[in-house]
Amino acid sequence: MNFQTDINNDIKFLAKSEIRLKILSELYKEPNNVRGIVKITKITYSSVSSNIGKLEKNNHIKKINNKYHVTPMAEVYLKSLIDFKNSIDMINDYDTFWDKHNLNQLSLDSVKNITDLKESELIEATPTEIFKTHNTIKKQMLKSKNVKAIFPYLHPEYPKLIEKVLKNKGTVELIIPQNIFKELIFRIDGKVRRDAIKKRKLKVYKFKQDLNLYLSICDENIGLGLFKNDGSFDQNRILISSNKKSHEWSEKLFEHIRQQVI
Amino acid sequence: MTSSETKQELTREFSGLKYILTSGMRSKLLLTIYENPKNLDDLRNELKKPSATILHGLKELENSNLVKKVHKYYELTSNGYLITTNMIKLIENWYSVNKGKLFWNNHDLSGIPDDMLKNIYLLKNARYVNSTTSDLSNAMNAYLAQISQARKLKIILPIYSENHFKHLIKLLDGTKLESLELVISEELERSMNQNEYFKNSLLNNEKVKIKIIKRKIKIFLTFSEEFVCLTLFFKDGHYDDSQLLIANDNDALKWALTLSTYY
Repeated sequence: MNFQTDINNDIKFLAKSEIRLKILSELYKEPNNVRGIVKITKITYSSVSSNIGKLEKNNHIKKINNKYHVTPMAEVYLKSLIDFKNSIDMINDYDTFWDKHNLNQLSLDSVKNITDLKESELIEATPTEIFKTHNTIKKQMLKSKNVKAIFPYLHPEYPKLIEKVLKNKGTVELIIPQNIFKELIFRIDGKVRRDAIKKRKLKVYKFKQDLNLYLSICDENIGLGLFKNDGSFDQNRILISSNKKSHEWSEKLFEHIRQQVI
Repeated sequence: MTSSETKQELTREFSGLKYILTSGMRSKLLLTIYENPKNLDDLRNELKKPSATILHGLKELENSNLVKKVHKYYELTSNGYLITTNMIKLIENWYSVNKGKLFWNNHDLSGIPDDMLKNIYLLKNARYVNSTTSDLSNAMNAYLAQISQARKLKIILPIYSENHFKHLIKLLDGTKLESLELVISEELERSMNQNEYFKNSLLNNEKVKIKIIKRKIKIFLTFSEEFVCLTLFFKDGHYDDSQLLIANDNDALKWALTLSTYY
């Protein structure tokens, strides 16, 4: 192990004390003095004052005109730590989604930016609604003008869904395993299919290795599904998100997988 | 809220972060196992710690579902993989900043959006060139050396600098540089338009594409397909031409390209 892959004391210094982190984030929002911080945070005066002293000694904050300002470097530290905290929250909040699931096909970048999915909703099948995950995606697709998707398996409704999007003058871009290619494509109405391919409104990429990931990018929502470690697709859970960041995250992941198609 | 309630809430909020980052043993174990699954012997050799200490750490990580034992080998669970990958990102962010301490700590970073600061690890291979009292143009020369080789340039330009303009015009007159994209503020465009020479040879040059934005620009970012250069402003609002970041790797190019989409 080298210095690049070790937690240095600087990280520990901040991570060790939630009070210091709190003070730092308040000062980042607005420069303030000890009294002001006590008022905002309700932390005791002695604790605020001693921690401000430590932060100043470590060059994380600087006193200018009676108010403490966060130094630019500490600003990056703080953002980076909060980002890490958010990633931990993201993993814990959706624990049943990640735990015991295969993450091999998520790119390193997508894992590093997992907080982009922060505002997601976990859709889980229930005993009374066992097809909830599929139905959620289906609704999204039918409303959508443009669909990009990675389908690792063939659902009997996929051909019709794709057909409907195309008939609606939409575009569809798919990454699917080679072995379901014929089954899926030739069940789309011949005329619709040929027309769409000619006008480049339907693009299909055949993936030669195993696909261990489900991803749909519709106009409003993205959906992400995973395989369990035992090799079966987890039909009972899907992560749905509608904000811009999650869309960008999904587009990048789609592109990452598309590039593996030779 | 009373002081003790605040404290409790804070403790809860940051407990995950603290759990991972404040125990040297736990974080080291995660980082070591991240490379590939290891058995106890491997771990003892790598970490140079007694078995009891290592086993204790492993037990804790197993209990929090970050590590699992499969046939005598310890490997990361899905959650362990996600957390460790993000911990490495944190470490690399930190390393990136510390490598350019002078650069990052002296300047106004408000022109760089949060999302880009969070991904500063992408600049871990960057180098920093400083002008010194004995060589005032050190940074500028390093900058010129980079741009003189480029075929396509994109510049987010915050300052009216005749020196820079002249160099760019010279490159545009040459054969190497095929296109130049400039992002400038309205204010800067007005000033440039008042000078006939810059107006004709730069703003109206057919190789040049101009994008004008309303707000003030607080970064000076230049990149091509091969390099990234970045200079910044001091907190007091003055431009600093003496400290330059240069990077030539793909990660940095990715960073610059994403940053430019905010402008």
